[in-house]
Amino acid sequence: MSPTEARIAAVAERLDELKEEFDSSFTRPARRHDAEHAELLAIHAGGRAYALRLSQTSGVYPDRPVTPLPGPIPALLGVAGFGGAIVPVYDLAALIGHPAPDRPRWLVMAAGTPALAFAFHGLDGHVRVPADTIITESGERPHGSLRGMVPLAGGTRPIVDLRAARAAVHTLTGHLEERSS
Amino acid sequence: MMAGRTFGNKLALGFTLTVALTVLMGAASVVTLKLVMDSKDQVIADAAESLRGAERLNTAIENRISDYRGYLLNGSRQYLDMTNADRNIFLDQVGALRNRLTDQAELSLLQEVSAAEAAHAAALAPVIQRRGQLKSLTDVAQLNGSVVGPAREKLERAIDALIERVRANVESARRASSTRATVAIGVIIGLGLLAIGSATLIAVRLSRGLRREVGTAVGHIQSSSAQLEAAAAQQATGGRDQASAMNEITTTISELLITSRQIADNAKRVSQIAEDTASAAQAGDSTIDQTRQSIQQIRAQVDLIVQHMLSLGEKSQQIGGVVDLVSELAEQTNILAINATIEASGAGEWGRRFAVVAEEIRKLADRTAGSAKEIRALIDDVRGAVNTTVMATEIGAKSVDAGSRQFDDATNSFRRIAQLVATTNDATREIELSTKQQTTAVEQVNVAASDTARVTRETEASAVQTRQTASHLSSLSSDLLELVGTGRH
Repeated sequence: MSPTEARIAAVAERLDELKEEFDSSFTRPARRHDAEHAELLAIHAGGRAYALRLSQTSGVYPDRPVTPLPGPIPALLGVAGFGGAIVPVYDLAALIGHPAPDRPRWLVMAAGTPALAFAFHGLDGHVRVPADTIITESGERPHGSLRGMVPLAGGTRPIVDLRAARAAVHTLTGHLEERSS
Repeated sequence: MMAGRTFGNKLALGFTLTVALTVLMGAASVVTLKLVMDSKDQVIADAAESLRGAERLNTAIENRISDYRGYLLNGSRQYLDMTNADRNIFLDQVGALRNRLTDQAELSLLQEVSAAEAAHAAALAPVIQRRGQLKSLTDVAQLNGSVVGPAREKLERAIDALIERVRANVESARRASSTRATVAIGVIIGLGLLAIGSATLIAVRLSRGLRREVGTAVGHIQSSSAQLEAAAAQQATGGRDQASAMNEITTTISELLITSRQIADNAKRVSQIAEDTASAAQAGDSTIDQTRQSIQQIRAQVDLIVQHMLSLGEKSQQIGGVVDLVSELAEQTNILAINATIEASGAGEWGRRFAVVAEEIRKLADRTAGSAKEIRALIDDVRGAVNTTVMATEIGAKSVDAGSRQFDDATNSFRRIAQLVATTNDATREIELSTKQQTTAVEQVNVAASDTARVTRETEASAVQTRQTASHLSSLSSDLLELVGTGRH
């Protein structure tokens, strides 16, 4: 069997699997968003892989125009329009401490108010993982915006806590630190 | 004067001079003898005529006296006439002598004789007259003769004196003539001596010239004979060497003849092979044309393949565009699903159900994106393969072009080879023909070499003969030198 024929056979097999899975999806009982599972977004920022909790976001947008603003904060990329509102956009990699020269493509809206968007370079996908696979720090007060790690396909990724990131933005901009939103 | 003349000319000139001198001497002798003879004749004539005339005077007077005396004796008239006739004879003789004599003394003596005779006649006339008167012989004594006697004696003396004078003149003329004859003899002797001297001189000069020139020539002949002998010896030696060389040449030519025949046979075989090669080349020519057509078809097919490949590349690009569209749609679907999930998470129980649907949609979007990515990869592979194929095909096309050019070159070379083979065929035929001609020529050369060898042997014999002849000529030269009088030159 030639490689092409093998590839065609693999594609056909995959097609069959997809059909079967699609059909079986209607037979499975409806899942729920519960505490046993965590919805994560696998992203890339500044050449590094991270994960975001989907529950801390309010939307993902690609290729949204960002208008630069002059200012002393390097992480502030500018402002962008979302649904008629002007939202500041910060570079997530710069906030984490690993700034990259190229401009990020993706924006993620952080949940909570005031509206705030973080920019990152690549979206690897939306994953649903069991909650117990997430490794969290114990006890001590964490530093920075990273909260725990999650093993995913392709390696273990640190989880960026958007609330901590918002707090960091507020710190940079002189707002009072908010412990929670 | 004699330089540059041949010896024959010199000899002829010498003889001519000698003959001229001899003729001159003879002419001088004749002239001299003629003079002497004339002189003697003159002397003799003078002696004969004058002396005889004088003697005749004496005789005439004696006859007259006798006749006179006879008259006196017998008184006959006859005697008287005779004495008168005698006197007339005497007078005629005197006249004749007067005409003849030239000497003045003789003429005066003749005059004296004439005068004495006149006196004698005058003395005699009375006596005669007296006698006529006498009748008897005894009276004769009466005649007085005393006058006649002295007259007669005077006359006789005068005549004698004349005779003596004439005789003396004749003698002197004889002596003068003898003197001239002596001078003539001397002249002839001188001329003879001159001729002898000249002849001797010429003979000496000719002898010297003969000795010198003939000696020189004979010396040259001798040296030339020696050289000729040496040359003949060398020629004989050379002739022997040449004869042996000609034998070797003949042997070599025979071998050459055999080789030429072998070459002719080989040339014939080569010609046959060349003809076969030419026919094979013609067959190969048609094969070349077919191959060229095949190459042109391959070239056209390659161009067609390139066009198809380029078209395939364009189609792949279009598919890539569609796949990009699908990817974009999948990405947007994914984003929408994510956002739907986010929205659903805040919408209670129904939101959770919607979130399940949104997750399924997101999964489909993910799979669609993954499949699109695979398709994209496959299309990239296809495009890469197409590009590689196009490049390989273009390289192949170039190779086909290069191969076509090389094939053209090979075709040209092949045709050139075919032409050369044809030329070779012609040349081989010419070689074959030339070799046959050469064989014939070599055979002729063989015959000529045999003839030459024979001639060489004859030349050797002739050289030996020439050497002997030269030796003989040398000895003859020596003999001739001895004959000329010079043992050496």
